[in-house]
Parts: sequence; C-alpha cells; structure tokens
Amino acid sequence: MKAIKIFAFTMCVLFVSHVNAQKGEVKLNIEYSYALPTGSFKNDVISNGSPRGAIGDLLYNINNKFSVGLGLGFQDFYQKYPRALYNTGDKEVTSAVLSNSVQIIPLLAKAEFYPLGDKKGMIQPYITAGAGLGIATFTQYLGEFGSSDNSGSFMFQGGAGVEIPFSKFSHAGVRLGANYNMINYNRSGFSNFNNVNFHAGLFFPLK
Amino acid sequence: MRNKQALLAVLIVFTVAIFSCTKEPLNNLTQEETRIYVTNSDTTVNFGAYKTYSIADSVSVLNDNQSYKDLTPVDQAYINAVNTYMQQRGYVLTDKNSNPDIGIDVNRIYSTSTGYYSYDDYWDEYGGYWDPYYWGYSGYGYYVPASYGIYQVTEGAVSIDMLDLKNANSKGKIDIVWNGLIRGEGIFDAATADSSVKALFDQSTYLHSN
Repeated sequence: MKAIKIFAFTMCVLFVSHVNAQKGEVKLNIEYSYALPTGSFKNDVISNGSPRGAIGDLLYNINNKFSVGLGLGFQDFYQKYPRALYNTGDKEVTSAVLSNSVQIIPLLAKAEFYPLGDKKGMIQPYITAGAGLGIATFTQYLGEFGSSDNSGSFMFQGGAGVEIPFSKFSHAGVRLGANYNMINYNRSGFSNFNNVNFHAGLFFPLK
Repeated sequence: MRNKQALLAVLIVFTVAIFSCTKEPLNNLTQEETRIYVTNSDTTVNFGAYKTYSIADSVSVLNDNQSYKDLTPVDQAYINAVNTYMQQRGYVLTDKNSNPDIGIDVNRIYSTSTGYYSYDDYWDEYGGYWDPYYWGYSGYGYYVPASYGIYQVTEGAVSIDMLDLKNANSKGKIDIVWNGLIRGEGIFDAATADSSVKALFDQSTYLHSN
C-alpha cells in the first residue's frame, strides 16, 4: 500500500513537471525534514535530532525573483532519559524514566527570494523567511504517566537553499536547504522550541 | 484538472506521512520503565531513633471506595520484601504486641469506577482501613505531616506506610512518617515485588536504624 502511494505521488510529480510555467505560477514544495534542537530546547527538553518531519509550501511567484505564500509542516521530537530521581514535591521524590515528546506544526506566511532571477542555470539558490503560528504539543512522561500541554505561539523561520530543475526547461525539480526555526514556549520553566532543520524534496508548478 | 488531482495526491501523501511518523513514547517503554517509585517522608524525623518494627500480616485492599484485608502470594511477596530491606537497614522485626517503634502496613489500591483515585480521600479514610486499635492505640487518630500523592490512580498502586508508634503516646496520635508508592505495569506480580520495594529503599537512604 505504501509503495502504491509513493508510485502515485511520483507519477503526479513527473506529470506536472512538464507543464510550462506562466507568470503568476503557483508552486508546491514537498520536502522531508530532519531537525536538530538548539539552545534551551536542546539543553532542557530534547537533545536528540528528529528524523520525523515534513514540509509543504504553497507559493505564488510574484515575479522571477520573489514568491510569497503559505508554509505548513510537521516535526516530531522525542527522547527517553534513563531512570533517575526527581523532586516532584516538597517532600516527595520520584524514581522514573523520563520521556519528552514534542510535536510542532508551523503555519507560516512565507516569502522566498531567488537572487539569480531569470538567469537560466541548473542551480537556483534561494533565501526564505516566514512568520506565523507555531502549534506545539509538549508531553512529558514519568514512566507511563504523562501530562500534555498544547500551545500556539509566535514562530519565525529563516533559511536558505538551492533548487535544481529536472531539466533546463522544467519548472519542477529537487530542492535542498536548511531553516532556523524560532518558536516561543514560555511555560513550566521552558523558553522555546528553537531548532534547525535540514530539508530535501521536490518542487513543481500547480498552474 | 490533472493539476488538482496532483495536488490532492500530494496532500494525501503529506497527511499520511505526518500522522504515521510520530514516535509514540509509551510504545518505547519496557514494562520496568513504565513504573514509578514515589517516596514521601517526614524530614523532621530521625529514623535512626527507631530500632524495632512490626509489619501487618495482611494487606488492605482499597477497591472503588471499599476496603478489605487480603493476603495473596503477591501481597506476601511485598511483605517479605519490606522485611528484607528493613532488616538490611538494621531494624529488628518484633511482634506488634511488643511495642514496636515502627508499624508498617502494605496496601493495594485499585480504581475501576471513574479511572481516578483521590489520595485525599485515601488519607481521609485511613483510620477506616487501619484502625489504630490494630496497633494497640485504640481511640487515636492518624496525622499525615507530608503532602502525599500528587498522582491520580487510574489502574492500581501499591502503597507502603511507615507509622511512628514509638511516639504515639507522647503525641497522642500516630504520625505516618514515610510512604512509598509503586505504580505502573506489572506491579501486581510477585516477581516484581522485591525490585520495586528495593527501589523505594534505595531512594530513601535516610532509612536506617543507626
């Protein structure tokens, strides 16, 4: 079933890659994402990298150098710490295996800038910036007993990368890059879920 | 039209990818790792001042606000484990009629009606489960100095209580000076009793008779 879905997805991408782009083109980016926590997120919550993430951007080409649109994504962070003692009350000590689980869904307004513009080349570098809402779910388990907190807070994203078209005349291709994500989370003594993600995937025009 | 189909296909794949790649923490725990061991103690107490103890020969089962005494192989395993680690810490087992310094009781707690058990209720009704008469102090009440039980019980727990009988007469009450709570999977298995009680004692290094 999974193979059928991947095949169907690949066929769709190959089909749309032959569509000639027009000015005002709408482009879709679909990418895999690997993320690394940074700062207090790394030090206080989860230090492990997350291989479980995806990015989807829907962008409108204003001209050959600028695109604007919406960015959506998902990243799942998880870490289990060995059994240790925790002070869970004034006179209470708990021995437990601690598990932290954080899921982040960005909902961003995004803009991308292509410095080479309409210069024809196989590699098009870009820089990107986004701002909006970072929806985070933070669940902390002592043993099998967990408590969960959902939050929606300001998120900023900045990044850079390259796009490599499948051919000289194709408006579809491969996309590689990295983003720095700043997500506020001022609860329970924590301050943020900042992370760096590295992404790779496909871009293709929708019309 | 074809582009819309492509978009739909992409969104479906994307959505499936999102919801299938989350790591579920509870699926990554062994049975031992699901367990938590919680201890509360009266930090004003010098546990070295106690020399002898007695332990109840059955456990109190608290089930949906009803209680009764029982002694299953699991209960006996917990009582044996408490004896083992109390004596390792230098306390001497004595008969309850021989004026022990410490009284120990073991409780099994279940909740099946609401999914939660209030520890406030547990302590409020404590005299009903363990009448002070059992320890030879008829008419006395219990006093709980520490704030116990921040967790709500959804399935079950084993609770071990340590009572100050040595100073009951002078204080006019029976202080509960130490409590250990065991929760998680496999706790009602005789094979896990010793390691669970050991964990409680390991994190209570102040429990020794000298």
